[in-house]
Amino acid sequence: MDRRRFLLLSALGIAGLTFVPGIFRPSFASSKLEEDIQKRLGVSLSQIKESADVKLQAPTIAESGANVPVSVESDIPVEKVDSLWIFVDNNPSPWIADVKFTPMNGKVYFATRIKMGQTSNVRAILKLKDGSFLMAAKEVKVTVGGCG
Amino acid sequence: MQLTRRDFLELAIITGAYLSADPVSALAKMKAEDIMSFKSLGNVTLLFTTDLHAHLRPLYFSEPVNLVPPKGLEGIPGYVAGKDFLKMYRIKPDTLEAYFASCVNFPELAEKFGKMGGGEHITWIIKSIVNERGKDKVLVLDGGDTWVTTAIGLFTEGKAVVDWMNYTGYDLMVAHWDFTLGKEKFLQRLKELKAEFISQNVVDADFGDLIFKPYSIREVGGVKLGIIGNSFPFTPIANPREFVEGWSFGVREEQMQKFVDELRNKHKVDAVILLSHDGLPLDIALAKKVKGIDIIISGHTHDVTPKPYFVGNTMIVIAGSHGKYVGRLDLDIKNGKIRDYRFKLIPVASNLIPADKGAKELIDKWYKPYEDKLKEEIGVAEVLIYKRDTFFSTFDRLVGMAIADYYHGVDIVTSPGYRWGTTILPGQKITVEHIYDFTAITYPNVYIMKRTGEQLKAVWEDVADNVFNPDPFYQQGGDMSRLYNVEYEIEIGAKQGQRIKRAWVKGKELDPKKEYLVAVYGGPTPPPESLVPDAKPVPVYDIVIDYVRKKKHIYVDPTPNVKVLDAKYTSPLEAFGKGMIRRIKA
Repeated sequence: MDRRRFLLLSALGIAGLTFVPGIFRPSFASSKLEEDIQKRLGVSLSQIKESADVKLQAPTIAESGANVPVSVESDIPVEKVDSLWIFVDNNPSPWIADVKFTPMNGKVYFATRIKMGQTSNVRAILKLKDGSFLMAAKEVKVTVGGCG
Repeated sequence: MQLTRRDFLELAIITGAYLSADPVSALAKMKAEDIMSFKSLGNVTLLFTTDLHAHLRPLYFSEPVNLVPPKGLEGIPGYVAGKDFLKMYRIKPDTLEAYFASCVNFPELAEKFGKMGGGEHITWIIKSIVNERGKDKVLVLDGGDTWVTTAIGLFTEGKAVVDWMNYTGYDLMVAHWDFTLGKEKFLQRLKELKAEFISQNVVDADFGDLIFKPYSIREVGGVKLGIIGNSFPFTPIANPREFVEGWSFGVREEQMQKFVDELRNKHKVDAVILLSHDGLPLDIALAKKVKGIDIIISGHTHDVTPKPYFVGNTMIVIAGSHGKYVGRLDLDIKNGKIRDYRFKLIPVASNLIPADKGAKELIDKWYKPYEDKLKEEIGVAEVLIYKRDTFFSTFDRLVGMAIADYYHGVDIVTSPGYRWGTTILPGQKITVEHIYDFTAITYPNVYIMKRTGEQLKAVWEDVADNVFNPDPFYQQGGDMSRLYNVEYEIEIGAKQGQRIKRAWVKGKELDPKKEYLVAVYGGPTPPPESLVPDAKPVPVYDIVIDYVRKKKHIYVDPTPNVKVLDAKYTSPLEAFGKGMIRRIKA
C-alpha cells in the first residue's frame, strides 16, 4: 500500500478505535455513484441491467492503481449504439468517461487507462439508440501485494 | 535397479531405516523399478516438473499442515492437506507416497525414507523415460520458479540451473521468481536456455505487444500439439515491480481464448495444452472460463495431484514442488481427440532413484566454489523447522526472533508467506545452506518502518484478501504473511477488509493510533520516506545465519499465533506428532 492510499483511506474516515465491520465501505460512496449516474444518464442505477453483450476487460488485480488499463467492447452493431460511460464506484469522483459512437467508428470499442484510489467495481454502461441501457461491471482490486 | 543385500545395508545406513524391525522388507517395497513402474500408453508422453526453486540437491520438504480454504472452495484440490489429503486420494499412511504428499508423521518418515528431489535424480528419471519411449514421443516441460531461491541459484544467478536444464533436455518453460533476476539477466538466461520460453500473458506495458512467443506448436508422436504458456500473472505485484519494469502481466484469459481458437482453427492442432504458473485454484477457475483447453499443467501453488482433476473435458494436473515429483502423462491422441491417458506423479526418492552421472558432475562443478561456505554447521534444530502453512511456521518464527534480536526495540516482524524453503528435521545440524534455502532472494534486505496500528491492519487485510478471496482470479497464490510478536483472530469468510477481528502486539491490543516499529523483508520495496533513517538495511540471510550461530541450539515454540474463527486449523504439533520436538539436555 502506498502513502497516497493510506491518506485516502484515512480521508474516508477510518479512524475508529475498534475495527467496526463495514468501515471500509462508507455508504456515501455508492450514493455518490448513484448521483453521478442519475445526473449524466438521466436514469437510476437500479434501472440498468447487466448484460453479457457488453464486454469489459480489466485486470482482476491492478498492477498499479494509478494506471489501470480498461477496455470495453460489444458486438452490438455500432449503428444501434448511442454512447458509453465508464464509472469507478469507489473513486472520490466515480465518473471516468463519456464516449459518443457514430457509425464511422465501425465497431463498439474503447480502451483507456484509469486511476483508482482503492479496490472497486468498474462499470461500463452502453446506451442504445432505442433508449435502453446495458451494463458490465468488474471488480478491480488495488493491493499492496507481496506474496510469493 | 536391482538392490543387493549390500545395497540394502548401505541404504539402511543412509536412511536410518535400520532402526525399524524389518529393514529389508521395509526397503524392498520401494525399489527404483517400483517407483518408475508405468505401463506406457499411446503416442505422446508429457514429462513435467515445476517450482524446483533451484534445489539441485536433495532436501527434506514437508507438505503443509493446513491449506485453509476461502469460503466456497472447501474440498477442492489446493485446499486439502494432511490426513484429509491422504483420505481424499486413498493414500495409505506411512508409505513413501504418504511421506511425499502430506505432513503426516513427517519427522519419522523422513528418517525412514530419506531426502527428496535432486537434479541428478530428476535427470535420471527423465532420461530413462525418454530412452524407453523415444525422444520423438516425449515433451519435457517446466512450470517455472526454477532458477532462483537457493544459494546455488542466487550465487550463480540461475546459471547452474539453466545448465542442468540444458543437460536434462527440457523443451518448454514459463516463469515467475525467475524474473527476479531482473530483466536483463533474465533475458540473458533465456538466450542460454535450450528450452523455448513461452508466455501469452506478458506484454509491453504501453502498447500491449507480446514480449515472448505466446505458444509453441510441436510434432510429438505423429500428432500436432499446441502448447500455450502462462507465466505468473501477478509477478509485478507479488515481487518488486522494478525487475519487470515496462512489462505488464495478468491472467489475460480473453487473449488466451483467442490463442486457443487460433491453435485449433488456424493451426489444426490435435490437442491444446496450457503450461501455467497460475496456481492450481486459479487454473481450475480458468478452465471454467476458457473453452477448448485439453490439459492444464499447473504450477505456483506447489500442490500435489496424485490423480488429475477435471473441469468439463479439461484435465488439470500439478507436480508439487522442490523437485519432489516428475509428472508423467501418457496420451493416446489421434485426429484431434485424446482417446486415453495414464498419469502418475513419480516421487523423486533420492535414496532409491539412481543418479545420472553427468548431471551429478555438473551440479558438483557448480557447487564447488561455495561448498565450504554452505556446508558449515552453525547450529542444531531442536524442533522441526518448516515453512509451509496458511498462517504460521517455525521458520518464520525463527526469522522473527533473529530480526527482533538484531534490531533491538522492533515491535513487529513481518515475514512473507512464500511457499518455498526447506525442512530441517529435529536433531539435524543446521547449515548455512539451510538458511539460504529459506531466504535466498535477489532483494533480501530487512527494512525498518514506522506504521500506525490502523495502517498495519489495512496491510494485513489486504494480504488476507489475496489469500482468502473466494474468487481465485483475485488471489495471489501465496500464504498469509507471518507476523512475529502479533497474535490475531481471523474470520476467513468475512468480507474484504473485515477479516481480522482482533489483534494484539506483544500481548496488548493493537492500537490504531499508535506508531509501531515494524521490520519487513521480501515484499515490494518500501518507499524511502517510510523508512526509519538510522536503521541500516541488512540481508535477512545474514541476520538469521548470525543468530543461529550465536544461539546454536534452535528451539522455536510451535504454537501458532493465529486463531481461525470459522474454519478448521490444525496445530503443527497435532499434525507432525511429538517427534517434531527433540530437546537436547544441557
